[in-house]
Amino acid sequence: MARSASLLTAGIVAGAILLGILHLAAGDAASRSLSLSLALGAVFGVVLQRARFCFFCHTRDLVEGGDPRGVLSILIALAVGAAGYVLVVGAWLPVPLPGRLPPDAHIGPVSVVLAGAAFAFGLGMAISGSCISAHLYRLGEGSPTSPFALIGTIAGFVLGFLTWNTLYLAVISNAPVVWLPHHLGYAGTLGATFLVLALLAALALRFSRGTAEPVTSRPLDLRSVAHALFVARWPAAIGGIAVGVLSAASYLRVGPLGVTAEIGSLARTAANAAGWLPDTLHGLDTFRGCATAIQTALLSENGVFITGLVGASFVAALLAGQFAPRRPTGKDVVAGLAGGLLMGWGAMTALGCTVGVLLSGIHAGALSGWVFLFASGAGLLAGLPLRRRLASA
Amino acid sequence: MSISRSWAGALVAGALALFLPVAALAQQGPLVDAEWLSKNLDNPKVRVFEVSVDPGVYERGHIPGAVNINWHTDLVDTVRRDIASSAKFQDLLQKAGVTKDTTIVLYGDNNNWFAAWGAWVFNIYGLGDQVKLLDGGRKYWEKLGLPLDTKVPAYARSDLTVSAANPQLRARLADVLEVVDGKKNAVIVDIRSPDEFSGKLFAPEGSRELSIRAGHVPGAKNVTWSKAVDPETGKFKSKEELKKLYADAGVDGSKPVIVYCRIGERSSHTWFALSRILGYEVRNYDGSWTEYGNAVGVPIANVAGTVWQGK
Repeated sequence: MARSASLLTAGIVAGAILLGILHLAAGDAASRSLSLSLALGAVFGVVLQRARFCFFCHTRDLVEGGDPRGVLSILIALAVGAAGYVLVVGAWLPVPLPGRLPPDAHIGPVSVVLAGAAFAFGLGMAISGSCISAHLYRLGEGSPTSPFALIGTIAGFVLGFLTWNTLYLAVISNAPVVWLPHHLGYAGTLGATFLVLALLAALALRFSRGTAEPVTSRPLDLRSVAHALFVARWPAAIGGIAVGVLSAASYLRVGPLGVTAEIGSLARTAANAAGWLPDTLHGLDTFRGCATAIQTALLSENGVFITGLVGASFVAALLAGQFAPRRPTGKDVVAGLAGGLLMGWGAMTALGCTVGVLLSGIHAGALSGWVFLFASGAGLLAGLPLRRRLASA
Repeated sequence: MSISRSWAGALVAGALALFLPVAALAQQGPLVDAEWLSKNLDNPKVRVFEVSVDPGVYERGHIPGAVNINWHTDLVDTVRRDIASSAKFQDLLQKAGVTKDTTIVLYGDNNNWFAAWGAWVFNIYGLGDQVKLLDGGRKYWEKLGLPLDTKVPAYARSDLTVSAANPQLRARLADVLEVVDGKKNAVIVDIRSPDEFSGKLFAPEGSRELSIRAGHVPGAKNVTWSKAVDPETGKFKSKEELKKLYADAGVDGSKPVIVYCRIGERSSHTWFALSRILGYEVRNYDGSWTEYGNAVGVPIANVAGTVWQGK
C-alpha cells in the first residue's frame, strides 16, 4: 500500500475508534463501561503490535534463535500485573478469607483436563504460529494465516462445547479452585510469584546465544522519538510493563483481560442456533474465566475490546509500514485451521487462553494460570518440530 | 415540588449544622434521597449497605463508606432455603458497627430488588424503624454522577442484638393455601410480568429457576413490580400514585396482602411499596412460584393452558 494511502487509512480507522470511545462515553453507566473497554482494547492492540508481544514467537525466538528478550518481556508482564492485582485485590478483600474470591478474577478449576487443554493450546500455537491474541493483532497486519486460525478457533470452540459435559462430569466438577493467597497470603503469593518468574528469567538467560544490540546514542529529536514510537519495535521491557499495567487497570475498572470471551460467545450463539449444542452445558456458566454466554446484546464489553484491539493494531501496523497482506498459500490455510482448532478446543476447555487464563490467572494468584503456563509451554515445545516439518513440506 | 424540596433541603442543612444525629433522622419515612445521602456520608449515625447481585459491582465503585452485602451468601441460608439466621445476621451488622440508633440505608443494582429483599430481612429482625432504601438505588446515584469509591471500609464492631424473627412479615405455602381455600381473608398480589402470570412463560428469559407448571396462584391480582417505579430514575412513584395503582387492582389495604414473584426478590420490592410506603399489612411469600408452582396437589390458574413438556 502506498505510504499516503496507509496514512489516510490509519487516520480514518483511528478517528473511528476515537469517535466510538467519545460517543459511548457520553452515555449511561453501562455505556461508559463499553467506552472504557474500547479504549483499553485499543491500547492493548497498540502495545501488542508495537512490542510484537506474542507468547509463541517470544518462546520460539528463545528456543530457536537464542534471543531471550521476548520471554523476558512476558515474565516482566507477569510480574508487573501480579503486583498491580495485589494493589487492587488488597483494597477489595483486605484479608483473603477462606471461601471468598476476588470478584470475577480468572481463578479456574485445576485438573488434568486443564493441563491437557493447555497442552493442546500450546500445540495449536506452534502449528498456527501464534496464540489467539497475537492472531488478532496480526489480523491488523494482514497476516495470511490469522483469518484461518480464527476460523479454526471458532470450530475448536464448538468441539469444546461438545466435549464439555463429559469432561465436566468426569473431572472438572470435582476439580479444586485454588487461589494462592488463601494459602500464602498476599505478600507470600507475590513473593512466590516473583521468585518463580526470576528463576524462569535466569533459565531464559542461560539459553541466550545472542549479543545485546549495541546502544547507539543518537540525538533525541522529534524525528528519532517518532521513529522509536511508531516504527521501531518497542523494547521488550516497555511492552511487558505496559501489558502488566493494562491488565491491572482493566481488572480495576472493567474486568480481567481476556480475548476469547467474544469468540467463544459467537461460536456458542451460532452453534446453539444451529442446534448443535447439548441443551445444557453443565456448570459452564458458574466458572470464573472467559465466559462464553449466549449473546443477548449487540455490544458486549469483550466485543468492543476486541474491536479496539484489532482496529488499533491495524493503525499501528499501517504507521509502522508493517501492514503486509499477501495471498494465503495452502500451507497457511492448513496451519491456521489445524492450529486454530486445537487452540479453540483448548481455550474453551481451559476457560480461556494465554491472556485470559495464563496472564489474568497468574496476575490474580490463580494456580490455574501457572498450570496453563507450564502445560501450554510443553505443548509449544512439542509442536515446534511439527511446525518445522510443515514449513519444509 | 422543587421549591418545597429545596426548603426541606435548607431545613436539613440547618439541622445538620446544629446537631448531627438529628440530621440522620431528619430524612423521615422509609426512603432516603440520593441528594440527602450524598451530604450525610460522613455522618457516623448513617451506615450504608450495598446489596447488589452482579459480582464486581460493589468492588469497582460503591457509595463511599458503604459495606458490601452478598445476597447469595450473607442474607440467605443456602442449605435450608431460608433467610439468614439471626446469629449470622447479627454478626454481619455488628461487624459493620450498626447500633440501635444507626440510620441504615440500603441500595443496590437491578432496581434495588435485592436491596429491597435486604430491607425485608432487616424488618423481620426488628430493625424496621432504622432501615431505609435509597430511592432509585445505584441507577439514580450513577445518573446524578455522584461519587463512587473502591476502598472497603472498616468499622469498629458494635454490640447490637437483633430481635427474634417476626413471622408476621413472611408468608409460607400453608398461608397462601389458606387464602386460596377461602379459610383466610387476604388478597394475593403476583408481581411478575403479565406473560408469566397468564402462563405463557414458565420463567423470564435467562432465568434458570423453573417451575414445572406455568400460571399463577388462583385469585391473585397481577400488578407487575415495575409499575411502582419511574422508569427513567428507578425511583418509587409518589405515595398517591402508588395508592391508586394498587387500589385499581383491588389492593386498598382493607385486607391483609401477600406478595410473591418467582424467588421472592422482586416481590420484596412491591412488599416495600405496600408495607413501608403505604403502611398496609403485607407478607412476602419468598417461596414464591418456584415453590408454589412445583408443589404437589395444589391448584393453580393457568389461562394460557401451557403444559410442561420437559423442554
